[in-house]
Amino acid sequence: MRKYILFSGLLLLLMVQHSPGQDIGFKFYFGAASVRMDDMKYLQEHILSTYPVEGKITSSFPPFTSLSLIVFKQFYEQIRIGGGYSFSTTGGKSSYTDYSGSLFTEMSATSHRLGAYLSYSLWGGEHLDLALYGKAEACLSDLSIQSSYNLQNFSNGIFKQYRALSPAGTVGAEISYTLKKISIGLSASYLVDLTGELKEKDGGTSLLDPNDTERTLSSDWTGWQLQLSAQVPLRF
Amino acid sequence: MRKALFFLLAAMFLFVIPACFYTDSEMFEVSPVPGDPPVFSVTTNLDSLALPKINDSLEIIYDVEIAGGELYYVYAELAGTPLFESDSTSGFFWIYPEMADSPGVDTLFMDFYYSSNSNSLADKVGYEALVDYLKIAVDFNEGGQK
Repeated sequence: MRKYILFSGLLLLLMVQHSPGQDIGFKFYFGAASVRMDDMKYLQEHILSTYPVEGKITSSFPPFTSLSLIVFKQFYEQIRIGGGYSFSTTGGKSSYTDYSGSLFTEMSATSHRLGAYLSYSLWGGEHLDLALYGKAEACLSDLSIQSSYNLQNFSNGIFKQYRALSPAGTVGAEISYTLKKISIGLSASYLVDLTGELKEKDGGTSLLDPNDTERTLSSDWTGWQLQLSAQVPLRF
Repeated sequence: MRKALFFLLAAMFLFVIPACFYTDSEMFEVSPVPGDPPVFSVTTNLDSLALPKINDSLEIIYDVEIAGGELYYVYAELAGTPLFESDSTSGFFWIYPEMADSPGVDTLFMDFYYSSNSNSLADKVGYEALVDYLKIAVDFNEGGQK
């Protein structure tokens, strides 16, 4: 999957490289994102309830790394249009250990998003710039669940991988400061994930609600993002 | 050109970032609070006999009573040879003269494994046990040679 995204990014870069007359550049965002992940938290609670002892959830889908890389063109003074790739990740962990053995479950979720970017500059000075932006993306979610136990020197485990595809949109505001050729900024945004049903990567079996087998569990990356950004103009 | 290179490096950085993972091996550690240990007792048909003799054969009948716990396993051996195993609280098996190494007095060992009530993980899934042993001397003077 990453190969295709990298290829798409390079293609986009080549396209803007051969567009004369307008400013082109790229932005790199790095920060943290909160996620809703209600179904995953529910599943984590369910898995914990199957422990024969009282374990504990030590991490439940906390705000975690979020990154974006955007390539854009300045079409008008205030409008930038482009596209790019975004990445978020989070996870959950529950465990139990005593002198006789241990149990643990780790859930790791990643979101790869590819889509279009539109930015409108509300106010732009010599150095400072305040802009609103939005993104429309396709969100590919990967979820892995690993559970294992160790009991008196005997251990065993299970590893499952699931995938979901969903549409997503982001709206945000960004304030940036230009230092010679590079701009640095701070961005706050809200991502709305329209959620996708999780299916096993290999067999395509749906990840069903353990208490209601009519319902398939979904990933949900809806949440706030707070990121630092760096913008570099590209002129070849 | 340097900017394009910078862009490519940033893109590559994006693609080598791993998914969320937990570098710590820290686990939620618990010190189980043990419950009362089970009250265990075992009786056999040889309890009232001193040095039972083995002529043709000898039947061993056992009966386990356990309060507040569960019997997992019974194991019996004579002269290093396994004779019997079961997970039943009562049962029987036979000893024959040819089971002895040599004529004389030998010892029948019986091990009783039962729940520990320690409330540990191993206890909860039946992989931790307390053990009681029973030793019964038996007389092979009338025969006995493997």
